[in-house]
Amino acid sequence: MIANSLFMYITVAMILFSIGLLGVISRKNIFVIYMSIELMLNAINLIFIALSNYHHDMGGQVLAMFVIAIAAAEAGVFLSLIIVLYRRKKTLDSDIFRTLSQKEAV
Amino acid sequence: MSIGILSIIIFLPMISAFLLMIIPLSSRPTRNIAFGVSLVIFALALYIYAHFELTGTLQFKEFYPWIKSYGISYSLGIDGFSLIILMLIATLIPSAYLLLWNNARSKSYWINMLFIQSGISGTLFSLDLFLFYFFWEAMLLPVFMIIGLFGSGNRVFSTLKITIYTIMGSLFMFVSILYLGVAHYYEFGMWSFALSDLINITTIAREHKILLFFGFMLAFAIKIPLFPFHSWLLQTYSNSPTGGVFLLSSIMAKLGVYALVRFMIPLFPDLFVEFSAYFVALGIFGLVYFGIAAICQMNIKKMFAYSSASHLGLITAGVFALNVQGMMGSSFLIVAHAIATGGLFLLVGVMERHLGIRSLSALGGIATKAPWFTLYFAIMLFCTVGIPGTNGFVAELLIVLGIFHYNPYLGVLSALTVLVAASYMFWVFQKAVLVKSDNDVSQMKDLSAHEIIGLFPLAFLILAMGVYPDLFLYKIEPTLQYYLLDILHVGVQ
Amino acid sequence: MSVILAFIVLAPLLSSVLIGLLYMFSITKKPLRKRWFTIPALFAPFISFVLGLSGFLYVAKYDIPLHFQPYLWLGVGEYKIYMGFLGDKLSLFMVLFITFVGWLIHLYATSYMSEDKGYGKFFFYFNLFLSSMLLLVLADGPLIMFIGWEGVGLCSYLLISFYFQDNANVVAGNKAFIVNRVGDLGFLIGLAILFFYCSDAGFSYATIAAKISTMPLWLMELVGIALFIGAMGKSAQIPLYVWLPDAMAGPTPVSALIHAATMVTAGVYMVARFAFLYELIPTIGLFIAYIGAFSALFAAIIATKQSDIKKILAYSTMSQLGYMFIAVGLGAYSSALFHVFTHAFFKALLFMGAGAVIVALHHEQNIFKMGKMRHVTPVVYMSMLIATLAISGIPPFAGFFSKDEILLVAFSSGEYVIWGIAVCSAVLTAYYMFRLFFVVFEGKNIKHAHHPHDVSWVMKAPLVILAIGSLCAGFVGLPSLLGGSHLIGTWLGEWGMRAVHVSHETEWWLLALNVAISLLGIGIAYKKFSAYDFSKHQEVTKGVVYNKFYVDEVYDFLFVRSIKKLSEFFAVNLDVNIVDRFIMGLSYGVIKLGHLVALVQNAHVRLYALIMMLGISAASCYLIYVLG
Repeated sequence: MIANSLFMYITVAMILFSIGLLGVISRKNIFVIYMSIELMLNAINLIFIALSNYHHDMGGQVLAMFVIAIAAAEAGVFLSLIIVLYRRKKTLDSDIFRTLSQKEAV
Repeated sequence: MSIGILSIIIFLPMISAFLLMIIPLSSRPTRNIAFGVSLVIFALALYIYAHFELTGTLQFKEFYPWIKSYGISYSLGIDGFSLIILMLIATLIPSAYLLLWNNARSKSYWINMLFIQSGISGTLFSLDLFLFYFFWEAMLLPVFMIIGLFGSGNRVFSTLKITIYTIMGSLFMFVSILYLGVAHYYEFGMWSFALSDLINITTIAREHKILLFFGFMLAFAIKIPLFPFHSWLLQTYSNSPTGGVFLLSSIMAKLGVYALVRFMIPLFPDLFVEFSAYFVALGIFGLVYFGIAAICQMNIKKMFAYSSASHLGLITAGVFALNVQGMMGSSFLIVAHAIATGGLFLLVGVMERHLGIRSLSALGGIATKAPWFTLYFAIMLFCTVGIPGTNGFVAELLIVLGIFHYNPYLGVLSALTVLVAASYMFWVFQKAVLVKSDNDVSQMKDLSAHEIIGLFPLAFLILAMGVYPDLFLYKIEPTLQYYLLDILHVGVQ
Repeated sequence: MSVILAFIVLAPLLSSVLIGLLYMFSITKKPLRKRWFTIPALFAPFISFVLGLSGFLYVAKYDIPLHFQPYLWLGVGEYKIYMGFLGDKLSLFMVLFITFVGWLIHLYATSYMSEDKGYGKFFFYFNLFLSSMLLLVLADGPLIMFIGWEGVGLCSYLLISFYFQDNANVVAGNKAFIVNRVGDLGFLIGLAILFFYCSDAGFSYATIAAKISTMPLWLMELVGIALFIGAMGKSAQIPLYVWLPDAMAGPTPVSALIHAATMVTAGVYMVARFAFLYELIPTIGLFIAYIGAFSALFAAIIATKQSDIKKILAYSTMSQLGYMFIAVGLGAYSSALFHVFTHAFFKALLFMGAGAVIVALHHEQNIFKMGKMRHVTPVVYMSMLIATLAISGIPPFAGFFSKDEILLVAFSSGEYVIWGIAVCSAVLTAYYMFRLFFVVFEGKNIKHAHHPHDVSWVMKAPLVILAIGSLCAGFVGLPSLLGGSHLIGTWLGEWGMRAVHVSHETEWWLLALNVAISLLGIGIAYKKFSAYDFSKHQEVTKGVVYNKFYVDEVYDFLFVRSIKKLSEFFAVNLDVNIVDRFIMGLSYGVIKLGHLVALVQNAHVRLYALIMMLGISAASCYLIYVLG
């Protein structure tokens, strides 16, 4: 039964992760990309906690704390970057930033 | 002496070049210093010539371990074949300096010339394959600079073409060298890249040996050049400055032939004998093909480029003829061709300085304005065509006799050399120098004093070696006999 | 004593170097007076003549040849080639008349070339030529002879294109050199074959002769043909003769010395030298004789219609050389050399006389613009008459005895076809030579373009001397039939004359026939030209014979144009289009590949993200499933 519920937890986490992954790859809006990344992080958090409960090992919850802290830091950096990028190009379309390509460079 | 004389010959130009780069001097003093260095090298080469003994072995040897963990050593030595090329370099480069006296605008020209001289000497004396490869590549980069900076026409493209083409060939050679080193390790348990050690390898499969042989040969074939690896030749020669084209045709091409003899014969004697027929045929084909292609050229430098390739084909054929006449003839033709073609390119450089770059149809009637020019041009021409009295004749005679001995039919074909060069050389003499045409050549002036002095040793050597060839040959004969008898086991002459 | 041989060759060589240096000085710094050039130029051939004469007398007295080998020229492996000189009866005989006639022509040239700016350069080349010719004749082996052989070819080029500012002269010089070189190709091949069979103990005639019989017959025949190809080129026989008429573009002394007396006879000398080989291959000898016969006839036909005085003489040289080759081909070397000897005298005289007439008429060379020169230059008239009689074979002039001997040899060896051709050529020879003579010196109603003047005694004296020679030279070969002792035959006894197997009666008949045919030719010419009315002259410009049977045009089409086309094919199509394209194609291929890969680098951020995901997934799968 516990295995079953563990399975449920992991399934939910995987679904969340996949949604986040697909969001990063296929969405153009930078905010949405950021949200998807946060979604992926949260999904991973969920897995950590579920497994930690399953194995009665505090390590998982510790790691989850780490991940939350890092996500917060990353949020700060990410959001500042978005502001700078917006100031540059006045748009939130991630496809605009192309200057590193072969064509743009030559 | 704790520092060997060969090392001095290699490093003196290089060190002077580095110093000249650092010290702020203008172009003129740099040129004078470079000229002085080349004269010092000439003196050292004379010393070596005087003390050279008539055995077939390597002399003036030096050996220092360099990268111990892979058995790479700094190993130098000189034998008869390298001796004659050393004397050639030592005599030609000072003459070239005298003729390029007023040529360059910046000091990097002279610095690059010094680097090239170092690279050439290094390639000539190396007995360790890795060291040889190092200098082989080191020769290229200063040439790249000279052609790219001081050339004309489409110079950047030409210099890229020659550099990349040559490096591509050298890449295959490098792979072969590494293979040999590894094979040596597997067989003897220790690393070594010295030629004397690599000769002893016996455990390479025949198919691999053939691949190695052709890996080396590709690099040499591109350098010499042999048909069909010659496409860099035309553009590069016609877009190079005079000094560059002189060095390329007179000296660097010969190093391809030299390396062939030095490394292919000891490392792959059985394959050398086995494939000799193909290379003799290829050389003769090149002789005829390039010679005929030269006839319709309208650009003098391109014509001489083809002439150069034609003679180099004959030289290669002579080397692969597997007898002492052929090899002796090739060594002699190396000298004769270097002097004559070098002299001709230098004279063309003089002409370009006065008249600008012109095609053959825009020239004519220089002879009356420039008698010394015509005289030297005529002497170089006679040497190229192979008229008796010049060393060109002796060389071509020996090679024809050698190839004849190898195979009579190929010998008959190689005798065509007497016709081929005559057709285009006399044509260019007629069109550019002799016959008065409507074109304006009033800018042409005769050679100045230092140009006359610079060309004099060349003309003197052409005639002296033609009248008394044995005087110049006896020192190198034991070496050639050693190669043929001891290594190739090819018949008693 | 034998060291004089080296000095015979060295004297003109050193003098030419001296003259060359003086000339360079004279044109770059300060012009020198002609005297500076004349004195060394005349001195050197004279020294060679004196030394040659002393050598000749020495050998005559002691009957041993002079041999001198100063140094080892080239020693490769076990083959050693020495620089060596051989003064035996044959070579010293050649040296004598080469230096004598040469000296006379040098003297003549000092007057002929006196107005020319390139006076010094002329004698530089002229002495160099003399030195090479003497080297050719005095060499003790075929390789050293080849050095002289090529040397005379080189000097011929330099002298033909002496007036190099004009394109036609340089083209003629090139033609001479290259056609000669084709011959040399054959010579070289013959030399190479000989080298590998016969040169164990050095490479001289003696050592070759010793080993010649070890070669198989077919190989000997090959060598014989190959060496003869060289002679064909040098001595202007069919098919390598096309350079000789064009060579008349050079100054007249050049034609006199090189293309009459010396260089062109080198081929005959060479075959005589190799008598030990040609004795063993009589079929090749017959081939040589036929080539000589055809060349003689062919040239004689063409000469009958030419109007340039020097070209007529050029073709007559080719014709007379044909006679010489008939003789050597049939094994009668001394007869051929006798004709070489007499020919040197009268041909040089003819050319020099022609030169005198040309100068007298201010450089006019068309015989139909000359005429009535008899009164302008009587000395030249007399000498030319003697020479023309000599070449036509009228006794007792020189040409009669030598030509008669050759015809006798042809008849007695049973080669009646050759004899017939030679007889026809003799008729034609007499005809065209007297045509030339009458048109130039006789005729009426001629208006000269410029007023003619007589020439200096410096030009006339050699003419007189040679005229005396043409008169008397025949007597050294007086046959026993007429009571003489045939000095030349005995002197050159080794290069023997085949014993003549015909009766004295036949000999008299043949002799009478020869005189008769010559008179026939002279008669026809006399009728047509002795009172030639120039005002009714029609210039001949058409016809197969006038256009020299179009041989030059055929050669141009076959060889010159085709090589040019081949050259363009190689240089443009093959080289640039195919070979180069292939290499450049390789490099463009690499660049295209790079572009292809660069498509991934398009800064499309989300694409990068996708690739990252795919990569990480693949790596993770690998880690989990493969590595366990």
